[in-house]
Amino acid sequence: MEPTDRFIFMKKYLTLINTTWQRALTYRFTVFAYRIGEMLEIIVLIFMWSAIYSDQQLIKGYTLQEMITYILIGNLINVAVRNWLSESVSRDIKNGTLSTFLTKPIEYINYMFFREVGRISVAFIMSIISQMIIILFFLDKIILRFDFLCLLLIMAMIILAFITEWLISYLIGLIAFWTDEVDGIQATASRLRKFFAGGYFPLSLLPTVFVNISFALPFAYSFFVPTQLYLGKIDLATGVKGIAIQIIWIFLLLLIVKTVWKKGLKKYEGVGI
Amino acid sequence: MHVIKVENLSKSYEYYKKQSGLKASIRALFRRKKMYAKAIEKICFNIDEGELVGFLGPNGAGKTTTLKILSGILHPTNGKAEVLGYKPWERQKEYQKQFALVMGQKNQLWPDLPAMDSFVLNKEIYGLSDKEFKKNLDELANVLNIKDILNTQVRKLSLGQKMKCELAVALLHKPKVLFLDEPTIGLDVVAQKNIRDFIKEYNRERKTTVVLTSHYMEDISQLCKRIIIVNLGKILYDGQLDGLIKKYAPYKLLNITFNNSGVKRYEIEKYGLIHKFNQFNVTFKIDRAKIKETAIAVLSSDLPVDDILIDEADIDDVIRKIFSSNKID
Ligand SMILES: Nc1ncnc2c1ncn2[C@@H]1O[C@H](COP(=O)(O)OP(=O)(O)O)[C@@H](O)[C@H]1O
Ligand SMILES: [Mg+2]
Repeated sequence: MEPTDRFIFMKKYLTLINTTWQRALTYRFTVFAYRIGEMLEIIVLIFMWSAIYSDQQLIKGYTLQEMITYILIGNLINVAVRNWLSESVSRDIKNGTLSTFLTKPIEYINYMFFREVGRISVAFIMSIISQMIIILFFLDKIILRFDFLCLLLIMAMIILAFITEWLISYLIGLIAFWTDEVDGIQATASRLRKFFAGGYFPLSLLPTVFVNISFALPFAYSFFVPTQLYLGKIDLATGVKGIAIQIIWIFLLLLIVKTVWKKGLKKYEGVGI
Repeated sequence: MHVIKVENLSKSYEYYKKQSGLKASIRALFRRKKMYAKAIEKICFNIDEGELVGFLGPNGAGKTTTLKILSGILHPTNGKAEVLGYKPWERQKEYQKQFALVMGQKNQLWPDLPAMDSFVLNKEIYGLSDKEFKKNLDELANVLNIKDILNTQVRKLSLGQKMKCELAVALLHKPKVLFLDEPTIGLDVVAQKNIRDFIKEYNRERKTTVVLTSHYMEDISQLCKRIIIVNLGKILYDGQLDGLIKKYAPYKLLNITFNNSGVKRYEIEKYGLIHKFNQFNVTFKIDRAKIKETAIAVLSSDLPVDDILIDEADIDDVIRKIFSSNKID
C-alpha cells in the first residue's frame, strides 16, 4: 500500500469507529445497566469465596486474597478482550444486510473489525471504571504487583487474546450461513468459552491434564493465563511460550475464517438468503 | 454503447425441503433434499447509457433476483451479464465505485443514528474528498429537500423521508448506474410522487442509467419510456410503453354518451363488443382498423348520441391481461 492509500484506509476506519462510538453512547443506559449487573455478579462471587474460605486457608494452592485478585484482575482483562461480534455477524447474514456490503468497496471483515473496536472501547472504558470502583472497594483484599516485565507480557497477551477472541466470534457468527438457529449455538459457545477461559473459577482447581490442555487451546489466554502471570503462579518463560501459542492460533484461525467465509459466501450466493 | 448487457441469464435458488414431524427433522439434520427454485430463466436485454428502464412484474417475477445479480450480490446459475464492462459478481472495487443499489425493503441507514453519520461513513467507504462530499451532499439535500432532517435519528423519520435519505446516501458517490428495487413500496401517494419526480429529474440531468423495478404500473408508466415486463422469470415484453399497448391491445375504446332516454342494449349490440354498459354511457372494444367506421356508423344512426370519445385501452387492463394469460405454467 502507498502511504496515501494507507492514510485513506485508516481514515475510512477511524470514521467507522467514531460512528460506532456514537451509536454505543446512544445506548449508554443499556451499557450502564450491563455494567451494574456485572459488578453485582463479581461482588456475589467474592462473598461466596469468602464464605468457602472461612474454614480453610488454601484451596489448591490459592489463598483467599489470591482468589479475589483472580476474580477482579481476570474480569478486568476479560472485558478488554471480549466482543459481541457473533450476534452482529449472524444478524447481518440472516436479515440480508450483508448484501449491502457486498455491493460496496469495503471488505466486510474489515468493516466489522473496526465497528467492533469502536463498540468495545465504550464497553472497555465503562468496565474499567466499574472494575476500578470494585477494586477500590476491595483494595485491602487483593494483591497489588508492579513488575514491569510481567505487566508488559500481560499487555502483549491481552492484545493477542483480543484478536483471537475476535476471530473465534467471527467464526461463530458465520455459522448463520448454514443454519437459522444460531442463538442457541452462540449461547452454548459463549458458556464453553468462558469455562475454558477460566472465567467461572481458576482452571487449576481441575486436574492437571486439564490445565495442560487448556494451555494449548486459545481460550485460557483471555482470563486464566494472564491472571496466573499477574499472580506470579507461572513464570515469564511460560508466558512467552503462551504468546507463541497465541500467534500460532491467530494464523490458524485466520486460515479457517478465510475458508469458511468463502464457503459460506458461495452458499449465500446460491441460496440468496 | 450498451452499459448493461444481459444474455441468457438464469438463476435457480437452492433450498432444502422443510420436513414436518420430529423424525423427519432429525433425519433432515443428516440428509436434506436439495431443491431448486427457478427465479429467472434465460433473460436477455441490453440497456444504453442514460436510459431509464422499468422492470415491471408481479411479486415473485424475478425482478429483485435480476438486480441482485447485476449488483454482484448473487452469482447467476447460467448465462452472461456485464455492467460497465465488469462482471458484477467479481466485485471489483472499480465497479463498485460506479454503481449503487437501493432496495425499498432494506435500509442501509443506521436506524439509531442521524442520516448524516451514514453519509460520512459512505464518504469514507467511497473515498470522496471533503470538497466532493460537501458539494454532492449539498446538491442532493437541496433537491430532495432533506436539509432539516439530516441530523434527526433515522428511526424517527417518516417512510418517505427515509427513502429520500436512502436515495441521497446511494447517490453520494455519483454512480453511473443506479439500481432501484421497488423504491416506492409502502409510501403514501404524495411521497411516491416526490420520489418519482426526483428519479426522473435526476436521470434527465445527470444521464445516469437507471433500472427500476416495481409492481405498480404507475411507477413505470410515469417514469419510463422503455419497459421490460417479466413474469415467472421470463421476459414477456421489452420495448416502448406505447408499443406495448399496440401489441397487447389490438383494440381501442369507443365511448359514447347518450341523452334523452338513453339506449337499450339490443339497439347497439350490432356495433361491436360491449365493454361497459349503462343506459346513458356505453364503451365498446373495437378493432383498431374498424374504429373510424364504427364511430361514423353510430353517429349516422338515429340513436340519441350526445358525445363520442375514442381512447387507448387502459394500461392496467393490458398488463393484467398479459399476466393472467401467462399464468398457466
Ligand atoms: N432465497 C430464496 N430461496 C428460494 N427461492 C427464492 C429465494 N428468493 C427468491 N426466491 C424465489 O424466486 C422467485 C423470484 O423472486 P424475486 O426475484 O424476489 O421476485 P420479485 O422481486 O420480482 O418479487 C420467486 O418465485 C421467489 O419465491
Ligand atoms: Mg422483489
